[in-house]
Amino acid sequence: MHRSASAPRPPDPEEAPTHLPTLLAVACAGDPAALRAVYQTQARRLFGIAEAVLRDADAAADALQDAFLRMADGAERFDRARGLAAADWLAEVVRRSALDLARRRGREEPLADAAPSGAGDVAPDTLARVAAHAEGRRVLECLDALPEGQRRCVLLAHAHGLSHAQVAERVGVPPGTAKAWIRRGLIRLKDCLG
Amino acid sequence: MTPPGDGDGGDLDALAAEYVLGTLTASAAAEVERAIAAGDAPLRDAVAAWRRRLAPLAALAPAREPPPGLWDRIEAALPPPLARIADAPPPPRPRRVRWPAFAAAAGGWGLAAGLALVLAGVLSRPPPGPALVTMMVPGREAPAWFVEAHPGGELRLVSVNGRPPPDPARVPQLWALPPGGADPVSLGVIPSAGLLTLPPGAVQPREGTLMEITSEPIGGSPTGRPTGPVLFIGKLHPPLRSLSGALNLAHAPAGTLYAVRVFGPGVSRPR
Repeated sequence: MHRSASAPRPPDPEEAPTHLPTLLAVACAGDPAALRAVYQTQARRLFGIAEAVLRDADAAADALQDAFLRMADGAERFDRARGLAAADWLAEVVRRSALDLARRRGREEPLADAAPSGAGDVAPDTLARVAAHAEGRRVLECLDALPEGQRRCVLLAHAHGLSHAQVAERVGVPPGTAKAWIRRGLIRLKDCLG
Repeated sequence: MTPPGDGDGGDLDALAAEYVLGTLTASAAAEVERAIAAGDAPLRDAVAAWRRRLAPLAALAPAREPPPGLWDRIEAALPPPLARIADAPPPPRPRRVRWPAFAAAAGGWGLAAGLALVLAGVLSRPPPGPALVTMMVPGREAPAWFVEAHPGGELRLVSVNGRPPPDPARVPQLWALPPGGADPVSLGVIPSAGLLTLPPGAVQPREGTLMEITSEPIGGSPTGRPTGPVLFIGKLHPPLRSLSGALNLAHAPAGTLYAVRVFGPGVSRPR
């Protein structure tokens, strides 16, 4: 399942046979056929995003269902003008559903699961996937410029959908420290990314 | 932009950043969403900027196969089309239009009810500004096409629900027949990718323009007119007011967006 660093770049969803921005606009207007086409072309990627946050296949399925239903009933509307590519917008909607569910499932408690992605924080092949695109390389460069603690906390929080307390436990620092590192890391990240 | 850490601007930006990163507690995240829904533009813009910054990190998650049957579960939970249309703001003085081609086709697919429901919302006049039409599913597994046409001329054809089984000896060719026109105009052979974008000038989309896909020999019709059976057919129509009202396309490029569900097979070209 993991893609190696040398793997070819995955097809750009914007260029996929089903033109994603059009499908999303139609799907969010309540068309089940378009919604289904979105699911068919995007479900593997989106399920991965939900599962990374929830680390539970059943919960990830619930999150994906929630995201698609919110699109179907018009609660989420894809707006081409807001600057987020269609594939990124979709990922964001699903990630938000997953985070909401993680919070309802008591995320503020310390980690129940020991090592979401093996021994390391974020596997190297995971970073390679991000580096497959120019925008991703830019984010990684800016993350690499952070002090190690800040970088680790920000990456952990995003990759596994962790709360401050969970990041703190994972990194082995007090919660206040993890919170401060994340905040400082994000400020520096913004300075770097613009 | 206010420098980070500098009073409210920095706090707002940090809040937006942590909201997008996902570290906020449930109550703090809900507070952000309430504020944006209530019209907090600076916070909304800060969140949008952070979404753009962090978007590449979505690739941190490896793709994973969802459980089989998940789509069926989602589909079963979808609100019925009637509810979606009824919930939308009512259009001003709607005038219903007839669509004989679709009515005939609907009979063949046994879905007159669902389709009529959608057509009831079609207006004869497009709303001001850009909008989009959508048609409902002809059938769960039925292949379909969306044609998205701007009055300026750009036209895009998108396949939905997969494509019909390829016949190695035939190719699908797209045609347009304006209302009152005698002969369909070829818009070209549809690439196997199922996506065709035509530059302005290839066709002047108008309400009522008949779009059809025929089965032709490799390379396209040798005569410049359709020679094979009609695989898919449908008419360009102005947007559904009730649905387009739910679309936030206010900043989309100027020009009304037309879209039509083109479907078949076994539909004959209406006179």
